[in-house]
Amino acid sequence: MNRTMLLLSLTLTLAVGLSAIADEPVSFRKDLAPILLDQCLACHGPKKAEGGLRVDSFERVTKEGDSGSPGFVAGDLELSEAFRRMASADADERMPAEADALPAEQLALFKRWIEEGAKFDGEDPAADLITIVPAPTHPEPPAAYRYAIPVAAVVFSHDGSELIAGGYHELTVWNPADGSLIRRIKNVGQRTRALSLSPDGTLLAVGCGAPGRLGEARVFDVAKGEIVKVLSTTSDEVLDVAFSPQGDRLAVGAADGAIRVFEMPSGKEQLSITSHSDWVMALAWNADGSKLASGSRDKTAKVFDAKTGELLVTYSGHGEAVKGVAFHPENNDVFSAGTDKKIHRWQIADAKKIADVAFGGEVFKLPLSGEFLFASSADKTVRQFEAKTQKQLRSFAGHQDWVLSVAFHAATKRVASGGFDGNVRIWNAEDGSEVASLFAAPGYETAAK
Amino acid sequence: MKMAVQGIRIGAFVIVALAVAIGLTRADDFKLEPVQVGEPQRIEVFPPVVNLAGVREQMQLVVTGFYADGSVQDLTRAAEFSSTNPEVFTLDGSVAHPKADGSADLKVSVGGQESLISVNVANQGTPQKVSFEYGTLAALSKQGCNAGACHGSPSGKGGFRLSLRAFDPELDKLTLIHEDFGRRTNSLEPAESLLLLKPLMKVPHGGGLKMRTSDPAYAVIRDWIAEGCNLDPPEQARCVKLQVYPPSGRLLKRPAHTQQLAVLAHYSDGSVRDVTELAVYSSSDEAVASITEGGLVVGKDRGEAAVIVRYMEFIESSFVTFIRDIEGFAWNNPPTNNYIDEAVDAKLQQLKFLPSSVCTDEEFIRRVYLDVIGILPTVEEVQTFLADESSDKRAKQIDQLLERPEFAKFWTLKWGDLLRLTSKQVGADGVYKYHRWVERAIAANMPYDQFANELLTARGSTHQNPPANFYRTATDTNDCVETISQVFLGARLQCAKCHNHPFERWTQDNYYGMAAFFNRVQRKNTPKPDETFIWVSGKGEVTQPRTGKQMKPWLPGDGDVENSEVDDRRGIFAEWLTRPDNPFFAKIEANRIWSHLLGRGIVDPPDDFRDSNPPSNAALLESLSADFVKSGFDRKHVIRTILNSRTYQSSFEPNDFNKDDTKYFSHYQPRLLSAEQLLDAICHVTAVPEKFGSLPSTTLATQLPAPDLVKHEFLKIFGQPERQTVCQCERSSESNLGMAIQFFNGPLIYNKLRDGNNRFRQLLDQQKQDQEIITQLHLAAVNRPPTEKELAATMNHISSKDEQIAQHNTETDAKVAAMNKAIADMRLTFEVKLFDAKLQSIPESLRADVKAALATEEGKRNEVQKYLVAKLGASLSVSADEVTNGLDEAAKKMVADSTTQIAELEKQKQAPGSRRIEALEDVCWALLNTNEFLFQH
Repeated sequence: MNRTMLLLSLTLTLAVGLSAIADEPVSFRKDLAPILLDQCLACHGPKKAEGGLRVDSFERVTKEGDSGSPGFVAGDLELSEAFRRMASADADERMPAEADALPAEQLALFKRWIEEGAKFDGEDPAADLITIVPAPTHPEPPAAYRYAIPVAAVVFSHDGSELIAGGYHELTVWNPADGSLIRRIKNVGQRTRALSLSPDGTLLAVGCGAPGRLGEARVFDVAKGEIVKVLSTTSDEVLDVAFSPQGDRLAVGAADGAIRVFEMPSGKEQLSITSHSDWVMALAWNADGSKLASGSRDKTAKVFDAKTGELLVTYSGHGEAVKGVAFHPENNDVFSAGTDKKIHRWQIADAKKIADVAFGGEVFKLPLSGEFLFASSADKTVRQFEAKTQKQLRSFAGHQDWVLSVAFHAATKRVASGGFDGNVRIWNAEDGSEVASLFAAPGYETAAK
Repeated sequence: MKMAVQGIRIGAFVIVALAVAIGLTRADDFKLEPVQVGEPQRIEVFPPVVNLAGVREQMQLVVTGFYADGSVQDLTRAAEFSSTNPEVFTLDGSVAHPKADGSADLKVSVGGQESLISVNVANQGTPQKVSFEYGTLAALSKQGCNAGACHGSPSGKGGFRLSLRAFDPELDKLTLIHEDFGRRTNSLEPAESLLLLKPLMKVPHGGGLKMRTSDPAYAVIRDWIAEGCNLDPPEQARCVKLQVYPPSGRLLKRPAHTQQLAVLAHYSDGSVRDVTELAVYSSSDEAVASITEGGLVVGKDRGEAAVIVRYMEFIESSFVTFIRDIEGFAWNNPPTNNYIDEAVDAKLQQLKFLPSSVCTDEEFIRRVYLDVIGILPTVEEVQTFLADESSDKRAKQIDQLLERPEFAKFWTLKWGDLLRLTSKQVGADGVYKYHRWVERAIAANMPYDQFANELLTARGSTHQNPPANFYRTATDTNDCVETISQVFLGARLQCAKCHNHPFERWTQDNYYGMAAFFNRVQRKNTPKPDETFIWVSGKGEVTQPRTGKQMKPWLPGDGDVENSEVDDRRGIFAEWLTRPDNPFFAKIEANRIWSHLLGRGIVDPPDDFRDSNPPSNAALLESLSADFVKSGFDRKHVIRTILNSRTYQSSFEPNDFNKDDTKYFSHYQPRLLSAEQLLDAICHVTAVPEKFGSLPSTTLATQLPAPDLVKHEFLKIFGQPERQTVCQCERSSESNLGMAIQFFNGPLIYNKLRDGNNRFRQLLDQQKQDQEIITQLHLAAVNRPPTEKELAATMNHISSKDEQIAQHNTETDAKVAAMNKAIADMRLTFEVKLFDAKLQSIPESLRADVKAALATEEGKRNEVQKYLVAKLGASLSVSADEVTNGLDEAAKKMVADSTTQIAELEKQKQAPGSRRIEALEDVCWALLNTNEFLFQH
């Protein structure tokens, strides 16, 4: 195992050390599930179930595989096939296959847990392991970035005095007036794909995750920069988060194709909508919070009843992945955009397209702010439209790479955009001038020089 | 690498799915035998000088031992390598790695021999970034990520799409770096990149484990990410050539069975780099040899294999021959008839196969008739040939057949397949005209270059100038490119329409470069029904759809044609194509003719020439094609030469030393007659011709102008192609259940066996004896008289019919007798009843006496009895009629039924000899069902 892998395993399994030291009973959730996820899931999961064994829930781990023996049997090390294979001295038989053996202290945990009765300390034995593992404390961000990373999400603080951008295991907070770094918010997933500020400006929802491994919606106290809650843990990235205009709900879209709606601030899951067949990449609420629009890599945009989760309409006009959605200010139509390089405006009543706007590259985020609609595009521009008529008001040009994200602050009339190359620009919406330009990667420019 | 290639034609494009069963072939997948070094006279190290001009460079060394007996073997696995200055470079096995600028020597020692080569190391102080194309994309190709069955499929896999075999670096750049917010790469923590975690199975991956951290590709991709996913600077040197060492021709004899390859990429700046680790290897014949991911060729069986080496868009191959001693094998110097036999024998002797003996005259006459004119010889022709005792009778027979009109008609059928001659495609009139043109060209033995030229440059009315139909069947520019390349260049170019050919050197640029010769061809329907006018426009260019570049006409081997502003660009192409030194033209046709005659091409399939499908005997193909060119593209000459070879005339029966051979022509390969040959043969044996719609009654199946003029079920079942494609594979030779049913009791054969005027009924009418008829049938069907055993068995079958008749008649008589008795018995019961009734009419007191009197024999009656009989006998007697009338309904029915049955049974009684015709039908049916009849052999 190389050094970086080891680091990750250590962070994911931080709790391991704690239990061991405290001499408490071994916890399946805290101590063992992270090991199973890290070491076993790739071959014994929903994609591949080698030997007929799956480890993606407690129920499955303790079931019989093709060998006829259950993975773990309370009090019986010999009959616990999974343990026997992990502990085997025969390299051909030992698990994980074609890899180093588990460290002795991890094996010891499994042994002790079996001896202690192989108990499940979660609520639902059928729940996905990833959802029952305690939220990890993420590693420190790089002190100085060797490379800038794509900025897929930006958002202004409530009063417009701060611009928050996604970083690597962090959020970086900048002064929009001069582009200087104000502070860094840590304990964030590896990549940030979405940011949503609660209407009162106190809470910040962060859609983040490690590609292919973990997705989370993390809620931070904006002022303190401290984590308040971790919602919706999935096995791949969370791609969008959206507070309802009333601030009482948070919608989360993830790579598992589900849209989950949580009551805020309790964090109680209210709805889980599994209508999309691929990544949910964009979410938007209508003004009164009664409808929820979504865009997906399954090439459709949809509108749901936000109370019941009932599907109201599916729009298939893009024929390509949909990466941004917004409601028309009059709430009868939806804007959606994506890989087909167009914003479509279509009617909720009959899914008929009534207008489109063409770009020179694919279109990503589509934030609506009052009377304005913004769009960020791979054609390296940000565009501002009159939302009612989709008439283009301005194009902000200057980025040297794809523009992935855009945010608007109405009171200060500032537009912020995040580029694939890590470049964040702040523009004056009144005249289109550039106010500041920075790389959302502390230490990067110095390193580059 | 294990692969299954499958082509599925969907609409206009062909998807070739390359299924990679499981990752790469690794050296430890094989049990390698140790190298038996012996005593080499000298050793040679490749490359002779090693230049390592960059921190990422390395060099695979290959050591060859040369022995006193002239043999060579690869000693790389056994050699010891050492560096005279490990500060400058070090060695990891047989691979040299740079350490610091400077020069030092590399010492190789093995088998008592030593060799020193110099190693020059430079640029070690300068960082060397991983190239996106030549590093990362090559590494992804190496691991099979961009294979057609994986992420290289048109829609990708699991939302991740790469261009097939990295033919489109622009797309791959987008996918790898930009797509999905850059989630696949992680330059801050490179080992955390999804692009690496997936194939390592550190996160779930639908494709499974495809990479290990020990694979060279892993380090390349990881480093590229760590360096920040850089693209190649535009000024970066381009790869211009791929060199594989050893070149073609290495011959390894067991126990030598492995060969290390070194693969060098030559760049436009003159630099040369070792890409052995990242090149992709495949074998043309996995039964003969496999190649490990590190470029070690491992021989498995005797034979030849082409090792295909691919690196980015470059493909090179190296032929390696594996031989071994065969116990008891001794070359017997078989006689040779011409250069063909010499070339075939050279290969056979090398691989230690013994050719089969020459076939019998009976086999020869059948074989040569079917191959040259498509039909079986007549009984008289067979008899004449067999009776001929001259030593050159086979050659004479060949010459005779080549001059028969059926020759041109039959070979027109073969070209009709390639030219897609159907009335649907060239019109009902056009099809006859086009067919006649081809037939006349073949009958006149039109030189093949002229034939091709007339087709390729044809213009004008398809009625006035039938070859213009070529551009009627090739309906657009793409069709022209694909048809012409398959028919005349032996290359299946369809893939290159949408992407670089996945296994071959053809690129998408080549496709559209060829298209620029044909895009100006215009087709217009004239007012006359069925007529198309072909003309050539003065302008119009081809645009490569991927790059948007306007293409210059391009010739394989020659490159772009600079001065192409001529009246008709097709002329340039035709001129190039028919040049005597054209590397494709003569070879493809010579091979096609060979495959028609021997049942298998020297390159097989015969229209699929590519590096990964090498000829089984390259020298043979070379001499054949050279002879073809020298003869002035005389097809008849080539046919004649092949037919006269001992190779063609060898027996189909294998011997102990060639029974495993299927591709080196050590014995004749039996094959099922084609649909048309088979139908004609059945008609010939039964002497009942088939009538094809309104075509002249003498038209044979092998002479039909087009398959859609008359739909014939039998022909369809036996694989007659619809001529939808130019692929020779459209003519199916797969056997199927339908075929079996046709021969078992299909209507075609049934009707011909029952035909009142068929061959054996005619012979019966001529009062021929059974033996004579049987002999005639054999001569007609299998072109030889029956053997004594066959004759005895057949005669026995006929006479067994008479025994059956006798038995049948006896059984019938017995049945009739039994029925008659049953009738009589029943009548008696009724007679008794009637008598009893009549007896009631006399006084009761007399009844007993009368009865007794009647029961007493006449001479023994006493007087009283005599009196009683005389007085009452007549009135009491019951007549037959009375009995008949007295029967009740059931009895009457029984008698009626039985009588009918008896009459029926009597009718069924057969005269001796009466079932002879049925026996002959059986004999003929059986003959048609023998392999000897069904197969060309």
